[in-house]
Amino acid sequence: MYVKIDYHRCIGCGTCYERCPQDVFTWDEDLNMPGVTYIEECWFCGCCWMDCPKRAIDITYPASFF
Amino acid sequence: MAQRIEQVAEQVIETDVLIIGGGIGGCCAAAKAREKGLDVILIEKANIDRSGSAAQGIDHYEGFFTRDGMTTLQNVHNEDWRLGRYGARYPNLNVKYRLYKNQFWVFEELEKLGVPMRWDDGEPYWIPFSFVGWERKKTGLRVHWTNIKPILAKAVRKSGARVLNRTMAVDLLTNNGRVVGASTINVRTGEFIAIKAKATLIATGKMMRLYNPETPLPWKYKFRYHFCPASSAGDGYALVYRAGADLVNMDITGWTFRHRDDLTISYGSFSLNDGVPMKCYTWDGCEVINPNATRYRQLEEQGKTPIYFSFDHFTDDFHKRLEVGFADERLLSFKIAQDRGFNPKTHRYELQDMRPTGFYRVSGIYIDDEFRVLRKSVPIEGLYAFGDGTAGGTGGVAGAASGGLLLADSLPVLLKDIPEAIVDTAQVKNHKKIALAPFSVKDGVEPLELESALRHLCERYVGILKSEGKLREGLRRLNSLKGWIPKLSAKTPHYLIGCMECRCLMEMAEVHIQACLERKETRGNYIRVDYPEIDRSMDGKFICQRIEDGRPVLEMKEHVPLKPEYLADAQEEETTKR
Repeated sequence: MYVKIDYHRCIGCGTCYERCPQDVFTWDEDLNMPGVTYIEECWFCGCCWMDCPKRAIDITYPASFF
Repeated sequence: MAQRIEQVAEQVIETDVLIIGGGIGGCCAAAKAREKGLDVILIEKANIDRSGSAAQGIDHYEGFFTRDGMTTLQNVHNEDWRLGRYGARYPNLNVKYRLYKNQFWVFEELEKLGVPMRWDDGEPYWIPFSFVGWERKKTGLRVHWTNIKPILAKAVRKSGARVLNRTMAVDLLTNNGRVVGASTINVRTGEFIAIKAKATLIATGKMMRLYNPETPLPWKYKFRYHFCPASSAGDGYALVYRAGADLVNMDITGWTFRHRDDLTISYGSFSLNDGVPMKCYTWDGCEVINPNATRYRQLEEQGKTPIYFSFDHFTDDFHKRLEVGFADERLLSFKIAQDRGFNPKTHRYELQDMRPTGFYRVSGIYIDDEFRVLRKSVPIEGLYAFGDGTAGGTGGVAGAASGGLLLADSLPVLLKDIPEAIVDTAQVKNHKKIALAPFSVKDGVEPLELESALRHLCERYVGILKSEGKLREGLRRLNSLKGWIPKLSAKTPHYLIGCMECRCLMEMAEVHIQACLERKETRGNYIRVDYPEIDRSMDGKFICQRIEDGRPVLEMKEHVPLKPEYLADAQEEETTKR
């Protein structure tokens, strides 16, 4: 919900899955796409958003951050 | 028949240098050690391209001392001790001396690794640092380091170091008091890997996670820390402690105002203010001079909170520079804040009550000026450490980079004639059992839940306003909480990260509480409400803890003075400059 992958833009390069400092993503072998699985452990650093070559990730903060 | 290590571990690897932790420090050490011709394995629980405290970037490099030299640093250090300031806790100033003498060499080495040390005009951009404490006189650099980690990761790969990403150390391997490598596990595949090494370097960062960040919910989103949670778990502290090393200053945490507002801009760029103090106001516009823990409590009781930092007395140039700084260190936060209408000129940053932050720079692994990890003040063979986890002054960006580069540079000499590592298979087997145990637990507890309980314990029973009764109750509760450790469960290998971190944090909580019980005084922002005065008998001393014969031991140690030759060198330098 707070880290959203736009699968129309995603090319399955795996960068977000490879680089996430908190291992928030998992990889779907069948779809060849990442999924946000451990969102509770996200610290919203934005590395995935910065490094995605297709800007396919959109991030907002959870309400509890405010 | 005795089992061989290859029958226990899925992989057994041998190397000259094992580096645990691939942040700025670990990456610098890896590249340098390779340049010196050593075989290097770098393990990182995440991925070196985006790991450590600077995963998403950093805007400052606070590495340069003023021309005052070490004699003045010694004087400032002594003065800060007299006044009880936090910054005066480095147990051994000789470590700082190594960094001081080599700061420009480090600058050049970083440039050789492809790190951008200069500003847009091609020159170093010097800034004074306005952090409170004796380091206020230091200068540092403003840097565009949004992508410091990808840059260093590239340099590491180019150097030929073997990188094992998603690989976490379970425990150090020891043999007759010598450290001979580590048992590790891949936290994506569950593969157990034993690594034998002549030298093991700890570069795992700081420890923050004994205390809560800002997020209030009891369950979700428990990682609203300023620094990367993965490198704030104190892994290295626990690893070396279990191997018999000294941990020092474990009573002392940093303290900060909890900073939280509706735009959730994190700090980090406040260093840009050219030494001009920020101004602090109550909600109704009264200026607050020198806000601190006591002052905040008074204001709260008087109905004068919330209080805010304001930058509106700064120049427009500063506000533009602030925006650039946020982009260098916290691009996502800045983008989200902008979308929500953030205005750097008019924004007021709410400060909340002062809370413990974490253990780094002065609390943690006890090292000497060769970056050797100590036990009873004597180096443990084969074990080294640098970066935020060391209580030696190798904290911060520059400390990590400098420590990593200087240590790696001297490793060929340090490792000369070191015999091959002998590994105890029984030890490896035990490590594997510990690491994989959570897979077998049914209906257990998830690591983040147990960690939340631990953080609550430290908040409630340690916190800022410490006292005997609370600390003792905290210890009692901690012993009870430890009963949950065997119930930690992992549905997938990912959960092993949290399980191992939880195990480390539980051990370190006990060390922390015992240290707080020992320090019966109030000194600076370390507050024992039952001992409100400074105890002068503790001047010049620090708390040192380790395990001996399976039991925790605590002693007071004297600060290590500057070596005569360093003092003479610094005095000569000062005379020459005049």
